[in-house]
Amino acid sequence: MAGTRTEKIWRFVLAGPLVLLATLIIMAGSSLWLPEGQAQVNNFVIPVVLLPAIWAVLFFYSVLDRLGRASVVIFILTAVHAALIAQHLLQAQQ
Amino acid sequence: MLKLQQKTTQTMLALHGWGAVIFGLLLYWVILTGTIAVFADDINDWASPLPAAIPETFPLGTDAMLRKAAADVAPEYLDELIVFATAGGRIRAFFHTHAEAEDGEHPEEKGVLFVFDPASGDILQRFEGTQSEIEAQSHYGKLGHFLVEWHVQLHVPSPWGLMLTGILGLSLLVACVSGFAMHRHLVKDAFLRRRRGGDVLSHKDAHVMASTWNLPFAFILAFTGSFYSLAGAFAIPAIAMVAFGGDQEKLIETVQGLPPAEDPRPAEMANIDAMLEDVRAAGHRTRFLTVDHWGRQDARISVFPWQAEGELLPKGYAFDAQTGENLGEKPALGQSPSLGSDLVALMGPLHFGNFAGWLSKTVWFALGFAGAYVCISGLTLWVKRREQQKTWQYLLRATLWSAWGLPLALVAAAAAYLLQQAGVLAGAVEPLMFKAFGLCLALSGILAGIVRRVTGVRRILVISLGLGLCALVALRLLLGGPGWVSAATSGLTAVVVLDVALLLGGAWLLRREWRQTLALPEEPLIDTGDMEVNTP
Repeated sequence: MAGTRTEKIWRFVLAGPLVLLATLIIMAGSSLWLPEGQAQVNNFVIPVVLLPAIWAVLFFYSVLDRLGRASVVIFILTAVHAALIAQHLLQAQQ
Repeated sequence: MLKLQQKTTQTMLALHGWGAVIFGLLLYWVILTGTIAVFADDINDWASPLPAAIPETFPLGTDAMLRKAAADVAPEYLDELIVFATAGGRIRAFFHTHAEAEDGEHPEEKGVLFVFDPASGDILQRFEGTQSEIEAQSHYGKLGHFLVEWHVQLHVPSPWGLMLTGILGLSLLVACVSGFAMHRHLVKDAFLRRRRGGDVLSHKDAHVMASTWNLPFAFILAFTGSFYSLAGAFAIPAIAMVAFGGDQEKLIETVQGLPPAEDPRPAEMANIDAMLEDVRAAGHRTRFLTVDHWGRQDARISVFPWQAEGELLPKGYAFDAQTGENLGEKPALGQSPSLGSDLVALMGPLHFGNFAGWLSKTVWFALGFAGAYVCISGLTLWVKRREQQKTWQYLLRATLWSAWGLPLALVAAAAAYLLQQAGVLAGAVEPLMFKAFGLCLALSGILAGIVRRVTGVRRILVISLGLGLCALVALRLLLGGPGWVSAATSGLTAVVVLDVALLLGGAWLLRREWRQTLALPEEPLIDTGDMEVNTP
């Protein structure tokens, strides 16, 4: 985790609160594209069960990969799921 | 053996070490209380036994008890009923409805709680009010509950406590993954134990060996534990908001199924004893049961048993409330079997170790205990490596305080429970347990801070704990609890087994401390950096 002081602070922020936020958004957004299954529960139950795994993958990726690339990948994943959630909620309101 | 780049290994080492320094002590609290809470039901049976063991948790006559209670509550409290066993096999039936709390936002359960003696069918206790008012008055099962609450949310109000334990679970996950990645020789590490006194190498060997054996179990506990905490704290509300647009009724319908159409016409309830017998005949022991709309045409009854021998996943049964017909098994979630439901159901046995009775619980207890040891040995190793830096000595003192002060405070809380139950201490039991726990923890903390030599801190706390464990058994007997012969002949297994376990634990600690005292040099180091702490 070597780097300048700014990089270290950004890495800390990314691996800490931002990864936690990203996990929450990805988990919630996944319920919109995962198949429901016959019982119609898989799409929202499986992301909750896998929450620790989602967080662990994002966390280790954020501390082990190059800072810039890790930031971009996590941002894209989060943004895609946030957009899915926004679209779903807007449709529900109409 | 994993071959990692040097930079990756350094990162893993930093995550492992600093994660432990930041979260290690609280993690130890959660792991230790969780380890003891594996036997929470047995601890409750030990603390508040009935005169004789109850062969069946819900014996014949349960139906009559519930009918007697149902006739004694206001009609609105027949809305929902949950029945489960508590300390000593007593039956706890809570007839309730969901009232709006004073803040106008959060619904709170309000009703009447009955505690029955299952042998005679007599009502032992009756409390009426909101759930929090009732819980403040009742005491059966509170000792186990006290332990469980430390484990689940460190007695911090929801959702903050759950978030805290969830983050601790995630930090344990990081420690497992980083620890595994750093292991250069996994098989060798599992057996290597160099005994060279109190040097860094022997500390490291002890920590690595215990953590290597404990690794798969710690990973499972970290995963399932953080799932339970984070799901309750924010994951389920968040997913309900997104997948169901905040429509809670739709969520409940999807998970539990459409409720039958409202039909408040009175109807005779089928015999619940027959339903319980049906579940028993299928090889199951009932854990709890629920009844919706008691005495109405739209009543529903569900029975949830423990797993039968050889079963991993828990299940539930639905019954027709009027005919008593068994409507079949209920999945944990949804109206038909699914991967999601099975995964959720799997989390329970994996986390609680309750799938094979005493055997699996004993294994879970031993592995949990090893996990607690790994926390403390890791922190001790961290300080040992920084022996020359006096600042880290404070962490060592805090570690010793937690390692021995926490179990000592739990013993004090258990003593307060016994004294309150015997009428020696007056007042609600939970505040009394908190006072005893807090007082003991504060005293041991002051001790850890003022005793000059670190070895002295450990010695006083270990001896106190050893004596405390033995004294707890003596206190139970002095306060009129069943003696060993009487307990053994009455089938009160939990009383005998836990008494023996407490005495053996206390004696082992005293003997261990005595031997370590003999092994110490006559004139040990006297500065605050003395680290002749061989093991935590």
